[in-house]
Amino acid sequence: MPKIATYRAKKTPPVDNSAPSISPRTAPSSLDTPIAHVDMDAFFVSVELLAHPELRGKPVVVGGRPDQRGIVSAASYEARRFGIHSAMPLRTAARLCPGAVFLDPHHALYSEWSDRIARILGEFSPVVEMASVDEAYLDLSGTERMHGPPLAAVHTLRNHIRQSTGLPCSIGLGRTRLVAKVASDQAKPAGLLWIPAGSEAAFLALLPVRKLPGIGEVTAAALRGMGVETVAQLAAISPEKLQELFGQWGTALHRKALGGDTFEFLIDAQPKSISHNHTFADDTRDLAVLDSTLSHLCQKAGKRLRDARLSARTITLTIRYASFKTYTRAHTPAEATDLDQVILATAKELLAKHRDSRQAIRLLGVALTGLGAAGRQLDLLDSDRHEKLEKLARAADRLRDRFGFDKIQLGGSLREPGDS
Amino acid sequence: MEFSVDKQEFLRELNLTQGVVERKTTIPILSNLLCEAKGNTLTITATDLELTIRTSCDAKVKKEGAGTIPAKKLLELVRLLPDGEIKFKLLDNHWVQVVSDRKTYKLVGMSKENFPSVPATPHVLVALPAGLISNMIAKTSFAISMEESRYTLSGAKLLLKPDAVSIVATDGHRLALVEADHKFAGLNAEVGVLVPKKAMAELKNLAAEGAEDAEIEFSQDESNLFFRTGKRLLISRKLTGQFPNYEAVLPRDNNKIIALDRDELNDALRRVSQLADSRSRAVKMAFTQEGVELSASSPEYGEAREIIEKPYKGDPITVGFNATYMLDFLAAAVQGLISVELKDEQSAGQLRPLGDDKFRYRYVIMPMRI
Repeated sequence: MPKIATYRAKKTPPVDNSAPSISPRTAPSSLDTPIAHVDMDAFFVSVELLAHPELRGKPVVVGGRPDQRGIVSAASYEARRFGIHSAMPLRTAARLCPGAVFLDPHHALYSEWSDRIARILGEFSPVVEMASVDEAYLDLSGTERMHGPPLAAVHTLRNHIRQSTGLPCSIGLGRTRLVAKVASDQAKPAGLLWIPAGSEAAFLALLPVRKLPGIGEVTAAALRGMGVETVAQLAAISPEKLQELFGQWGTALHRKALGGDTFEFLIDAQPKSISHNHTFADDTRDLAVLDSTLSHLCQKAGKRLRDARLSARTITLTIRYASFKTYTRAHTPAEATDLDQVILATAKELLAKHRDSRQAIRLLGVALTGLGAAGRQLDLLDSDRHEKLEKLARAADRLRDRFGFDKIQLGGSLREPGDS
Repeated sequence: MEFSVDKQEFLRELNLTQGVVERKTTIPILSNLLCEAKGNTLTITATDLELTIRTSCDAKVKKEGAGTIPAKKLLELVRLLPDGEIKFKLLDNHWVQVVSDRKTYKLVGMSKENFPSVPATPHVLVALPAGLISNMIAKTSFAISMEESRYTLSGAKLLLKPDAVSIVATDGHRLALVEADHKFAGLNAEVGVLVPKKAMAELKNLAAEGAEDAEIEFSQDESNLFFRTGKRLLISRKLTGQFPNYEAVLPRDNNKIIALDRDELNDALRRVSQLADSRSRAVKMAFTQEGVELSASSPEYGEAREIIEKPYKGDPITVGFNATYMLDFLAAAVQGLISVELKDEQSAGQLRPLGDDKFRYRYVIMPMRI
């Protein structure tokens, strides 16, 4: 993998003006050079279609078999016409479109293709942030001499990705990341959209507030309660009023409604929580199955935590029984952690303490909260062990980045924290 | 069972048992006190199975016997009763009648047969000076681990030698060690025991309740520790297992040393840590030629920087520490100069009060990687 600069991260304190160096991390992109948001179209489906070209033009759903319990991971545009969307239960999708083709997901394969795309993007601009497996932000500052004006540049980029991978994408161009992201969404599928500086407000005005990244169901519902449906209506509310209603988040909302700025985007770049759930194909009481599922969930969450260079303070376990009764139980160890073993030990402890062994379990979930990048407390008594676990995690992460998540797993042979 | 006691005297002993009575217990009898009237004494016992407190007060016993009474209700009621005599009488069905003047109450008791038996105290091993022990517990108990999973760290190690006593506690991130000279009559060999956190707290209460020059008689059997001072007895289950080899982690070659006034350092740390990351409480400590610079920053709150001026000729160094760990120690150390001794960014730092002529007190604290 090429070295990919990221400016994911952090609310950095205001840059000290006396500091002579300007790193890509904090350098604001020039106002005229837009930021590009590259979003792969129906990524999982597109990757599957590479192996199954005969399915092109058909409604395709990735997620599992239609009689399984899981949810839709991705749906082709043809399937979306039937009302199928991601995160919908597979059974609902099957009801909406009985003729759809249902495929099992192959996440290792997707992350391989994601890496290939990251390499292509890395050759195109030195500043690339992979925001997730299928989307990335590119700072186009300084690329003009190589690739020409922005719109021409992203046109080339889109064709290049298509030719070298066979995968379609949409690209949005805007003065801020927020505008670029909204633009790529509007450009789908396989489109390009440039929002020139100065026309952001007009572009955003008529969109529903839900289209702004970071505004989820909860905020949208709160705004709806105030009679606010569109971005224009949101922009019309004074920042003071929004702050009164939503606290610090209100200030961010106001900036979002105006098309945001780089600093504003960085606030939301850090996740507030990381969680993974698993719904069992058959409800289970089998502790071995529960433990191994928990192990898998904790490792997935831990990997994402480390990828984001964060550590978590609180570990929350969700147990949903066959009756659909759902319980969440949390524990906050003395120190924040980013180690799979610590997360797993805590999750297992919570499960052992709170599980009603008479009831079969339908779903297990692990959530990490209290995320931050702050330094780690070093250990007085067994510094070596911690050091080893850390090295192990990094090595495992590197292997997973190359070969896929499932290629390397925690064994039962590792000591767990607390054993001595 | 029928007896009467003086309210104030009874209340004082009742208060001492409250730390032990379980609030949320799955075993109902453990929320009760065992009251035993015999001769001219009332003995009360509380236990949570890990820790037992037994104490007594003078009583006029009309009829000897024993019963159990809900501890919390009894305490609340006795607190509210006027000063003077309170009469107790065991009724049928284990109920206990309480009469003060013309006020009558009946509390639902439970059979005394169900109350856990209290182990017999073995012969006294050694007498500990109460004031000294109480002081030493205050200097160490805050460093005991809160994590139940780190079993052997959930207590402090009490080490008795023929001519010295020491207590050491650690949670794996910092370690507090205090030693004092004291001649123990009749002690020929070293005795080391692990005392659970809760027992340490109760022992300190007990030591503080007694007179300045009171003594605590210490003894042990296979599974319990016994501390008796006067009529009060504390029994704790031993923590079994191996306390970590703490001597191996005590710093030996920390050569970057500055002595700072305790209050000055304490105040500066408290201010600077206001702007530290609320999760990690990380504060940077830098030794420079100007002195010691303390700084902290957090994305939510802002940043802080303070310099405590102090001549320093050694190599400059910057180390991150958890401010809470530092402040815990400063609150327990005596006034005057504190020697801050560092080695490098990854090795344990050491803090020692220089003005303490009674105790050899050292605090070892691991840095944070920032």
